[in-house]
Amino acid sequence: MEKEFIKETERSVTLNVTAGKIDSFRELEKTTGTVRVYDNGCIGVAGCLGEPDEKELTARAEEALAFGIPYPCGMEGPLALEDLREKEIIPIPEFIPTMQSFLDRLGEMCPKFALTNKISLTYNRSEYRNGAGRRLVSSGRAFNLELVVQNRGSGNLFDTFLGWSGDHFDAETLLAYFKKQYDAFYNPVDLEPGRYPVIAAAPDLFGAFLQHFVGDLYAAGASLLSGKFGQKVFSDKLTLRDDMNPATAPGVCFFDAEGCVAPDFRPTLIENGVLKGLLTTKKTAGQYGLPNLGTASAAYDGVPGLGFHGLYLEPTARSLKELVPGKAVFVVMASGGDVTPEGHFATPVQMAYLMEGGQLVGRLPELSVSGHFYDMLGKDFMGCVHDDPIEGSKLCGIEMNVEKV
Amino acid sequence: MIQFREGYYADIRTEDRSHTVISYKAGILEEMKTRVERQAFLRVYDGKLWYYASVTDIDHLQETLDGLYAAATENPQILEDPVVRRFERNRDAVSSFDGCSVRDVPLKEKQALLLSYLPLLSEDPCVTMPTGTYLDRNSRFSFQSSLGADIRYDYQTCGLAFSCSMAEGEKKFNGDWQKGGTRFDEMKGLEAEIRAAVAERTAFLRNSVPAETGKFPVVLSPEAAGVFAHESFGHKSESDFMLSDETMKNEWEIGKAVGSPILSIIDCGSVPGSGFVPYDDEGTRARKNYLIKNGVLAGRLHSAQTAAALDEGLTGNARAIDCTFEPIVRMTTTYIEGGDLDFDQLIAPVEKGYFIKTIRHGSGLSTFTIAPSLAYEIVGGKLGRPVQISVLTGSVFETLGLIDGLTKDVQLLSFVEGGCGKMEQMNLPVGFGGPFVRVSSMNIQ
Repeated sequence: MEKEFIKETERSVTLNVTAGKIDSFRELEKTTGTVRVYDNGCIGVAGCLGEPDEKELTARAEEALAFGIPYPCGMEGPLALEDLREKEIIPIPEFIPTMQSFLDRLGEMCPKFALTNKISLTYNRSEYRNGAGRRLVSSGRAFNLELVVQNRGSGNLFDTFLGWSGDHFDAETLLAYFKKQYDAFYNPVDLEPGRYPVIAAAPDLFGAFLQHFVGDLYAAGASLLSGKFGQKVFSDKLTLRDDMNPATAPGVCFFDAEGCVAPDFRPTLIENGVLKGLLTTKKTAGQYGLPNLGTASAAYDGVPGLGFHGLYLEPTARSLKELVPGKAVFVVMASGGDVTPEGHFATPVQMAYLMEGGQLVGRLPELSVSGHFYDMLGKDFMGCVHDDPIEGSKLCGIEMNVEKV
Repeated sequence: MIQFREGYYADIRTEDRSHTVISYKAGILEEMKTRVERQAFLRVYDGKLWYYASVTDIDHLQETLDGLYAAATENPQILEDPVVRRFERNRDAVSSFDGCSVRDVPLKEKQALLLSYLPLLSEDPCVTMPTGTYLDRNSRFSFQSSLGADIRYDYQTCGLAFSCSMAEGEKKFNGDWQKGGTRFDEMKGLEAEIRAAVAERTAFLRNSVPAETGKFPVVLSPEAAGVFAHESFGHKSESDFMLSDETMKNEWEIGKAVGSPILSIIDCGSVPGSGFVPYDDEGTRARKNYLIKNGVLAGRLHSAQTAAALDEGLTGNARAIDCTFEPIVRMTTTYIEGGDLDFDQLIAPVEKGYFIKTIRHGSGLSTFTIAPSLAYEIVGGKLGRPVQISVLTGSVFETLGLIDGLTKDVQLLSFVEGGCGKMEQMNLPVGFGGPFVRVSSMNIQ
């Protein structure tokens, strides 16, 4: 019988902001423990909330083998690896005064913006070990600022969004970037319908496509990519990975729920346009004869399932200006899009700026953008830029049909 | 026995949740477990700040509460605070599921029920990857406050969800079907319904054609209408969005015309189903709240904080997804009231349009979006071929004004998987529904 043990700890402090003022302070601490045992091609799982008692969990996991859940997979081999990023971002006792001071400055700089929602500090630690000698530890901290903006007097529930996430807090850089958005917001501009470069965070334009990378659907012939593994199907410029690297995804664990560790902590789906990976677990990879991607996730008491952590596109340009020297639609929020079975994609764009020469020019009306799966990742894919306009951003550019709603 | 202190408001919410999941993929058992969790959420308010703690150690709540008191500042006038003055002091025990708790159904019996349906998914060879899931949940809630509230109630959901990945030549489709209820027995005897659902989806794979894009009349099923009501107007009725901008109350003045005169939208926590919330997470009793009545803004949804800020009454809509989070303003069961037509009368005047039967997801701000799954063309007042639509969108207020027909019968539905998401709190169970709804123009993409 083989065994895995996992312990995860999550701590967070979250402030709620209403009308630019902090009105609540929430502390959360949660520890979970998991034991999975494997015997005769089956898996047994037991989990607990709170500090784990490994012996008791092991006994329960062994009992769960009786359910007969098939999972004919071996353990990952010996490896000892730690990635500990425990540098404090803001001391907890200083969190409320620091953030209220930041909000006050932001409010003075952007007086027509009414600000709500959350600011948080999170700490995560994950430990994995198995009977084959693998011992992994990952820990990280993150600062998350997610402010919903109402333009005072608009009557809207939501007008735009100011957000940032990273492993540090730099008030001056954030204020300068938010001021650029504020100035552009109050310069309404128009755009004739047509074909334009659309700049957006990758999930806004790629999120709906992830279903076609699911190994089960691929094997069932139900994916738009079925039968194309190893083939060049997209643009040379497109290299798409799952970002499990804490250096670019603060707070994310570098190994998956089955103890798999990818090169550079970024499992690859597409490399230079070639389909190199599909979303699998060790079990489904074995079932379908696919390489295991190493992105599995699991509830603390659950069998490993498909997982995905965050889209990472290899950069092709050093700046937005280099990526798109001319006119472009810079998307702040595009929610609700989807793709038809034949691959036609459309999404409303609730908030976007007009960008020229890499600079925000003005606020666009609500738009709808559309394209086709193969074109968007193929001939219409323009590239990706990191660290622009502020550190931490990963933006991609795609030529798309743009219409006004 | 919890000792509350004077000079502060405090409350403690606990949940004992049992949750079963059994799932099969391509006939192979993937997951089978019953998770039992006990958690608590504690709040202390001193008139200036709220202090929250989420804990899994429910045997030491007094120590956690005392820690929150230590962080807060004593306020002798706390009982005069407008938020505190609004809190109800209900004392009640509601047991809706004694004698029919899913906790009492053996895991093997749940597994056998699911297994009995799985062969129905694979009768057509175009189904290449059938999956089936059984889910249930039974929760026992308690709520106590420093004002003397003491409430206990239970909650239960039970459901089946099936998904069929289909492929035939170059044609591909993922067809989903689900059935939500509150009792295990409701999940029995569904063979004919499931077989018909699979047949409809295989026909969609083979016969569907891309829809013509542009503006067309659209008829929404109760499922689509319910999601439309939830996304288009329900979220706008959550009044925490009104606290940051003092002009919002004028923009959203009660009595303002916001939709067609035949349109009424209701939110009610006492409706059985996944949106059943007899008491919200601040101890407020559920009530029927009209959001729109005959096209006119009639009310909005509140927590005590928002009710105090806007000087309005409580509605029973302060909810959290679990004891990890604080309650915020959320919907319960939101639905459109019925009209006076039957389905044939509703589609008869539509020369060229679309019928949206089932959906994959929806979202809504000033513009709403619905991503249909099963949709059909309407030609000459009759249903026609199945059609593929990526999304339908429109301006919320323009579309609310374009509703020009409603059927008599209202269907209320429950989510089995997923639920409503708002900011950090995702998958809150809610109910939704309505009649079949005709809209004279929506944008098809």
